[in-house]
Amino acid sequence: MQVILLAIDMGPLWLTFKLAVITTVLLLILGIPLAYWLAYSSSRSRFIVETLVSMPLVLPPTVIGFYLLLAFSPGSGFGLWLDQWLGIRLVFSFEGLVVGSIIYSLPFMVQPIRAGLVNLPVNLMEASDLLGKSGLTTLRQVLLPNIKSSLLTATVLTFAHTVGEFGVVLMIGGSIPEVTKVASIAIYEEVESLNYASANTYSAILFVITFVILLVLNLTNGGYFKGLWKW
Amino acid sequence: MVKAELSKRLHAMGGEMVLDVQLSIEKGSFVTLYGKSGAGKTSILRMIAGLMKPDQGMVDVDGVEWVDTDEKLLLKPQHRQVGFVFQDYALFPNMTVLQNLAYALGKGQPSSDIDPLIEMMELGDLQHSKPATLSGGQQQRVALARAIVPRPKLLLLDEPLSALDWEIRQKLQEFIRLVHDEYDLTSIMVSHDLPEVLRLSDYVYVLENGKVVKQGEPISTLVSNREGIPRFGKLGEILSIDAESLTVLVDNDIWTVPTTNINTHELHPGRKVWIAPISNDVVINLMD
Amino acid sequence: MSKTGHAFYFVIAVVLMTTLGCSQPKPQTLTIAAAANVQYALDSLISIFEQETGTGCEVVVSSSGKLTAQISKGAPYDIFLSADMKYPELLYGEGLLKNKPVVYARGSLVLWGPSMSDSADLWQLLSSDEIRKIAIANPKIAPYGIGAMEVLTSMNLLDGVEEKLIYGESIAQTNHFMTSGATGLGFTAKSVVMTPQMRNVGKWVEVNTAYYTPIDQGMAIINHEGYELPSAQAFYDFMRSSRAQSILNYFGYQTDF
Repeated sequence: MQVILLAIDMGPLWLTFKLAVITTVLLLILGIPLAYWLAYSSSRSRFIVETLVSMPLVLPPTVIGFYLLLAFSPGSGFGLWLDQWLGIRLVFSFEGLVVGSIIYSLPFMVQPIRAGLVNLPVNLMEASDLLGKSGLTTLRQVLLPNIKSSLLTATVLTFAHTVGEFGVVLMIGGSIPEVTKVASIAIYEEVESLNYASANTYSAILFVITFVILLVLNLTNGGYFKGLWKW
Repeated sequence: MVKAELSKRLHAMGGEMVLDVQLSIEKGSFVTLYGKSGAGKTSILRMIAGLMKPDQGMVDVDGVEWVDTDEKLLLKPQHRQVGFVFQDYALFPNMTVLQNLAYALGKGQPSSDIDPLIEMMELGDLQHSKPATLSGGQQQRVALARAIVPRPKLLLLDEPLSALDWEIRQKLQEFIRLVHDEYDLTSIMVSHDLPEVLRLSDYVYVLENGKVVKQGEPISTLVSNREGIPRFGKLGEILSIDAESLTVLVDNDIWTVPTTNINTHELHPGRKVWIAPISNDVVINLMD
Repeated sequence: MSKTGHAFYFVIAVVLMTTLGCSQPKPQTLTIAAAANVQYALDSLISIFEQETGTGCEVVVSSSGKLTAQISKGAPYDIFLSADMKYPELLYGEGLLKNKPVVYARGSLVLWGPSMSDSADLWQLLSSDEIRKIAIANPKIAPYGIGAMEVLTSMNLLDGVEEKLIYGESIAQTNHFMTSGATGLGFTAKSVVMTPQMRNVGKWVEVNTAYYTPIDQGMAIINHEGYELPSAQAFYDFMRSSRAQSILNYFGYQTDF
């Protein structure tokens, strides 16, 4: 197999990373409170929520995408409501991809953080409570700083998982250039039209960039960049 | 100052145990909850702190009700103004000693409030170290200081010294008593270590299976009365007995005592005793 | 390689063979690889063929591109029914086909609004603001998509509607976008709206063939190292018979070319 690197449209790659970064950031904001609740709540509905959070792991991505397409189609139901009342369409739009990615990558963010919190000694939180600190203060100043490696794992997994997302995007994306045609879709199309050289080029660039990003994150977690930036 | 009536069903290793106690603690006193592991001592402390909920009961501190199950009143630990010292220190690993102490400052409390504690607990050199680099004894000093930073009125100590070895324990017991006196605290300590109890407490509650079986002034409560208990005795542990003498471990010393005038009937190796020299004799009383 | 290494590979091989071996089609069955758009007509075609010859058939439906890639890597299909001529000719160039591909049907495009009423003017709606998204098959990978793009270009509609276009990776997905209500309007194969299920769904209009290159769909017998099923030739001939052609006509394909 000859490997030829060609000049290709960088749009899909840029779109992929944009999607991955936005999804990861939003999932950090959503995932930390959710993981906190799952770790510390004594409510029985906790078990149901925990199971729901794991579901995206079980369902094939194309199935998730299929149901999202049904749910978000502006023809009826929720999609219609969104369109009429908020003017938002979640099919064939970048926003739709973000929502789809958040659902698809949810367990990858929530589960490591939850596990990290649960493994912290209980008396850290107790000590902070007894010093009169609010739950939010305890979370920000005591809990999160002590689960840094879990946070990093969650971020890395979420980011990587979203970069590789295909099935969901295939179903609700519509392959619109500069909007929903992410790298995984572009590679798929190149393969489909038998342009293996372009497919290889996309794949190689995607692989290298993602590898470097994840390597830097992992080295940071291992303390290799102590001199350069504070972790 | 502290009045508590607590009952709770606890699930321990051996099965279920019903905890049912009534405590009344005078302001400024140093009280110990003493008993074997699993007797419910830590649970009582945690219920006073707000880390555990009683099935039924009340806690009243200095006229303020903290817990009243009839009224469904359960004050959150954040609002209880207790200092709590944990058995495993519970220092925040991500913060230095100084940061741990500064974190404890209440709203509007000046940071200068930390300084006297740093001095008292001899933490000056350790200020900028993280807990992981400190020894057990050093960590517990920090934990004790941190508990006092917000100037609580009530100090709770949950087996604070059980993880430490004998010499460090001695030193820390001094710190505990120092802090108690210096800051006018009312202190409640959980311990199953006799020397500690005898050394620090003004009053002791003996717990067994979740109930208070004895309470009172430490020596008279804990030492079983034989011939009048001299207060100037020491606590020891019998190492061996033979026909003529008794070897006892007292603090870190070994005493050998002739058994001529001693009733060795209930004495055997391992037994804890209260031993005091009187005239040319030695009086030995049994610790419970 | 050590004994453990041999043993390991042996176990893996056995596991793979037993699991994969079970999914091979029975030797006498004819395996037909068909592009998505022809699957609807194929059901009827096959039942007649099976009745006439007693040969069982299995159908693998996928996109022409995927099937081509698989065939070029040795997939065990006997007949290839593509959605165009380009893919089969590629395979012929690689020497994988028994004979040069021939056209078995000519497909046509329709403009379809599955939720539209009979009175709707679909062409006018195409350019209007009422329709926010239009589905077409991806011209890069699906032959019917090329036709749809040609139509839009030759009708001078492309500039106006280009940003409304969404691309299905196959005719199947394009249909799905339309029937699920995700888009109001789209271009699809006539064979789709001629199926019994979709015949009376919404409204469709035929696109004037002058506006796009004929979609000639090619068929060929696949040559597996000199071996081919005898029934493959039988099916090939059947597809060019008048009986097959009348079925294809029913489903909207042209057969007079």
